[in-house]
Amino acid sequence: MRRIELHVQGIAFWAPRLPGWERARAILRGEAAAPAEPAARPSPALLAPTERRRAPDTVAVALEVAAGACASAAREPRTLPSVFASTYGDLAVSDALCGQLARAPLETSPTKFHHSIHNAAAGYWAIATGCAEPYSALTAHQHTFGIGLLTAAVQTLSSGTAVLYVAYDIEARGPLATMARSRGILGAGLVLDTHPSDRSRMCLELSVEEQTGCIPTRARAQNEALVAGNAMASCLALYEALAEERAREIVVALPGAKALRLALAPRP
Amino acid sequence: MRVSPLTITSYTATCAAGAGREALARALASRRGGLTPCDFSATPLGTWIGRVPEIERAALPGDLAAWDCRNNRLAWYGAGRDGFTERVAAARRRYGAARIALVIGTATSSVGATEEGYARLLEDGQYPPELRRPIIHAPHSLTDFLRNALRLDGLSMTIATACSSSAKVFAHAERLVRLGLADAAVVGGTDSLCGSVLFGFHSLGLLSPEPCRPFDRDRRGISLGEAAGFALLEPQGEGPLLLGYGESSDAHHMSAPHPEGRGARLAILEALASAGVSAEEVDYINLHGTASRKNDEIEAQVVAELFPRRTFASSTKGWTGHALGTAGILEAVITLLALERGLAPGTLNTESVDCACGPQIRLKNEPRAIRIATSHSFGFGGSNCVLVFGRERLS
Amino acid sequence: MPSTQSPAEHELARLIVNAVNLEAVAPEDIDPEAPLFGAGLGLDSIDALEIALEISKRFGVQIRSDDEENRRIFASLRTLARHIEEHRRRG
Repeated sequence: MRRIELHVQGIAFWAPRLPGWERARAILRGEAAAPAEPAARPSPALLAPTERRRAPDTVAVALEVAAGACASAAREPRTLPSVFASTYGDLAVSDALCGQLARAPLETSPTKFHHSIHNAAAGYWAIATGCAEPYSALTAHQHTFGIGLLTAAVQTLSSGTAVLYVAYDIEARGPLATMARSRGILGAGLVLDTHPSDRSRMCLELSVEEQTGCIPTRARAQNEALVAGNAMASCLALYEALAEERAREIVVALPGAKALRLALAPRP
Repeated sequence: MRVSPLTITSYTATCAAGAGREALARALASRRGGLTPCDFSATPLGTWIGRVPEIERAALPGDLAAWDCRNNRLAWYGAGRDGFTERVAAARRRYGAARIALVIGTATSSVGATEEGYARLLEDGQYPPELRRPIIHAPHSLTDFLRNALRLDGLSMTIATACSSSAKVFAHAERLVRLGLADAAVVGGTDSLCGSVLFGFHSLGLLSPEPCRPFDRDRRGISLGEAAGFALLEPQGEGPLLLGYGESSDAHHMSAPHPEGRGARLAILEALASAGVSAEEVDYINLHGTASRKNDEIEAQVVAELFPRRTFASSTKGWTGHALGTAGILEAVITLLALERGLAPGTLNTESVDCACGPQIRLKNEPRAIRIATSHSFGFGGSNCVLVFGRERLS
Repeated sequence: MPSTQSPAEHELARLIVNAVNLEAVAPEDIDPEAPLFGAGLGLDSIDALEIALEISKRFGVQIRSDDEENRRIFASLRTLARHIEEHRRRG
């Protein structure tokens, strides 16, 4: 079984009741209470005003955590290849676009069409940071977080550079919400590398478990409740473990009832 | 970064120009394109499309009914050409279903089914009962369908980076195999015509009122097409080879290329380096060549700058239309056909090349020994991928 | 001192602010003679498409994306309002 040794250099998170990694970390450790009022969507500073005013929720949350992870890793965004993972992409844009097509297709908004592509967030990130490194945008339905993380790990090994990983999902709207279940906004970011740096937080040994039937790890109930219903909520277990900063094993689901084993250890 | 070459032991594509390799090769050789006036939408759009007529007669077997929709029917039909599903079944027996990765690219997936749901909403805001199947309304619909249809049980994912999607799948697959996470891979894609893309591109003013003419001085935009294409990649075997790839981002604009072709240049140079070949050794380039004013101008300049006069470069979108997320695999198959049959297709519908074009861009077909060939895919959102193919391993 | 907006220009200013989601600008603050594109309001070619779409829906006036006159038509709020008036009357 192939093991991949990685170092977590940057961490970022955003959800309306876990707004930003600094606060999320304290809340996940049980050291602070979650805000009673959910925060509105983030407003990433690195988007130019022209792009910021056009940015849909997926772009806002993905770029917020992308920027957060790079800042926490003290890495220049333009140096990092990236993997952007979302189960459903922009559900609000899909709803608006399909509604428009049903009513008056010739009045389709070009901006909405731009935003409907699955790589909209990744594209806006590249534009905002001037990053010419390759990005991938992917989905693997309910296994998106695990497949995305594995893909980022593979990219890191293959290119020999650090890689940015961003996972996100937003709220479903309209008739599409009867088919695609997701509530709220969630963005999770990591900067991973095969080499440690003075910014490394945790070591992460990743392996693909060949046996089926491993139970994916869940975050504690009171933490899970904070992101309940979001299609990317299953990522919270890893972030809870990263917040705790102790040796732990996390299991993340992969297709075919297989699993990704993540052995976390604080940096020696 | 050097790539470990993979053998393409089976490949197939179905598009407006032909269903399966033989039909497609014949269409290319006889200069018979597949574009027709757009009859896809009730609202008239004065444009031309590359429609696959066989879809309307294709049906999924009963046990795959949960995934039924037009896009998956095209995928099923396409995977059934050239004995591809049988070759996958044989690979399954050799490697085990869990050791074959499935990496599929698409832009549309089955959004057409969601559009239909919205068009036929019931009073209570629900879709009609036959459309109430969540998987067909998710972007992963196609890959999930193929996983079940091909009975694969390994790592599987959908790459959705607009027009570079089903080219990048080759890169992802090579990395998985090289790092030991899979022993073989099925790659490919399927995109189908639907309201989102027809009216989306229309809203951007990018659709041509006539069949597209890539690199023509008087080109007026793109023709959308639909297609399905697949390839089986193995570390050993009989067949042409994936020798390398390059990926980059333009980081400029969501729907316009970098004005100096920065991303295209990076992807081309990285692809050549990864395969250990020089620009002089490339015999044939299948260009992205969408016939949009901007793409073709920039791509022509980059090719003129990087390649010698003898390189034969063409766009085949005049035959097939722009298959969006599936353009990568479709044009990879066309490139492999050129490689195997020694016939470089020219550029259909084009009459006089734009002045930005160098001598590399060719209009007529030409018999030619092709040892090394590349394929360009440059997508919305600035995602670029260049693939390098060859007939044998390089020492 | 910027010139005052006519009622038609004000209506058009509101259309523009809504069409392209201008966050920091109130419709009445758009100088009718100042450039709409580039430095001024920071609008780009995609915004032009969105504005043309809204104008088509509201006033029934088509502005094609490949019209060479577009530089002149979109030069300012005033020129755009004038273009709409001219083509509405002809309609």
